[in-house]
Amino acid sequence: MSDHAEHRPPHLPGETGVWVFILGDMLMFAAFFIVFMSYRSEDVALYVNSQHTLNQHFGALNTFFMLTSSWCVALAVEAGRAGWQARAQTWLLGAMACALCFVGVKFFEYSEKIAAGFTLTTNDFFMYYFMLTGLHLMHVLLGLGVLCYLWFSLRATPSAASMRTLESGASFWHMVDILWIVLFALLYLLR
Amino acid sequence: MNTRNELLCIWSAVLFVVLFTIGLWPLAHFLPAHSPTASAEDIAALYQARPWQMRLGLFVMMGCSGLVCAFVAAITVAMKRMENGLGVLTLTQLSAGTCGAVFLIVPCLVWTAAAYRPERSPELTLLLNDLGWIMLFMPFTTFVIQNIAIGLAVLGDRNASPEMPRWVGFMNLWVAVLFIPGGFLTFFKTGPFAWNGVFVYWIPLVVFLGWYLVMVVLLRQGALRAARAA
Repeated sequence: MSDHAEHRPPHLPGETGVWVFILGDMLMFAAFFIVFMSYRSEDVALYVNSQHTLNQHFGALNTFFMLTSSWCVALAVEAGRAGWQARAQTWLLGAMACALCFVGVKFFEYSEKIAAGFTLTTNDFFMYYFMLTGLHLMHVLLGLGVLCYLWFSLRATPSAASMRTLESGASFWHMVDILWIVLFALLYLLR
Repeated sequence: MNTRNELLCIWSAVLFVVLFTIGLWPLAHFLPAHSPTASAEDIAALYQARPWQMRLGLFVMMGCSGLVCAFVAAITVAMKRMENGLGVLTLTQLSAGTCGAVFLIVPCLVWTAAAYRPERSPELTLLLNDLGWIMLFMPFTTFVIQNIAIGLAVLGDRNASPEMPRWVGFMNLWVAVLFIPGGFLTFFKTGPFAWNGVFVYWIPLVVFLGWYLVMVVLLRQGALRAARAA
């Protein structure tokens, strides 16, 4: 590493303001997780029994789609930094395709649960299951809008500002990803 | 632009927050919220126990909610500077904010109807009590649209000296997201998503009142800057 690199100030991806949203949103989900865990600790048996009715294949498949989309977005940022706008757009299309697959899987998963008679009001576990994954799904849809916006913004000539926009949107998408990872662990895996 | 009047409208939000909290908390005892699982007799007993204070508390809450209109006007003027004229986001904010004020006033009137004849059949008091809580905490839609409009206007501000820092735009978008869980109170009588739950009552209430105070500081700075520039 050169001397120059060592003295570079730490780089915050995207514009500073977007972190107000990202950290605020993560704070809200942290509150969801804490409340979930505290209610769960009062009736572990109910939560574990209800968890057995979840289809882990759907959960794992969606984790795969989320991680892959995040990877695509990271590659899009790399391509953008190198000035390869068209390549960055292709990676973004890949990320959007994964996000759409995520939404599709969620649709089948919800349908299966509702057909089996599990709804928002079945018990506390399913309240959290539907509310938390539903609010996360809303973030995925928001994120899809953000990815579309990034795709269009890459058509303009590259600039420092457009790079910041790309990084801001990518940071939001990584947050959507990390929230899913925690949700997957808490709802599908925790014993 | 009359800066004194603009500042008057901005400061009216502080008066609103203080009076609304006084009405809600020590007077009407609507903090913490009534339990959605309480029986009709229990709810009726709440209204019968202290009808006078409850009516006064609701009077104060209803009476100060009109100040929100003045504050919405102050936001509108600031947004006009962001959009360099009466843009669609400014108008969206104006109409959504005005509708939002209605959903502060009407629930107080519904609860007032319950407090007006506390001796009536407990089942009817329960109905009015439900209606008031649902009206105050479920209609997230106007607040969400108002916050999104403000957020987008702040982020879209391309003026040489922007009206507000960009983080305020993102903060407004975040507040919009925070209000959405409130809409789900319709499904629950217990837990964090019921109307007395942490994600419908406590967090949105604190964020709602806190948002006014943050916006007061920023709007005041903007109004003073505009006055200097004029």
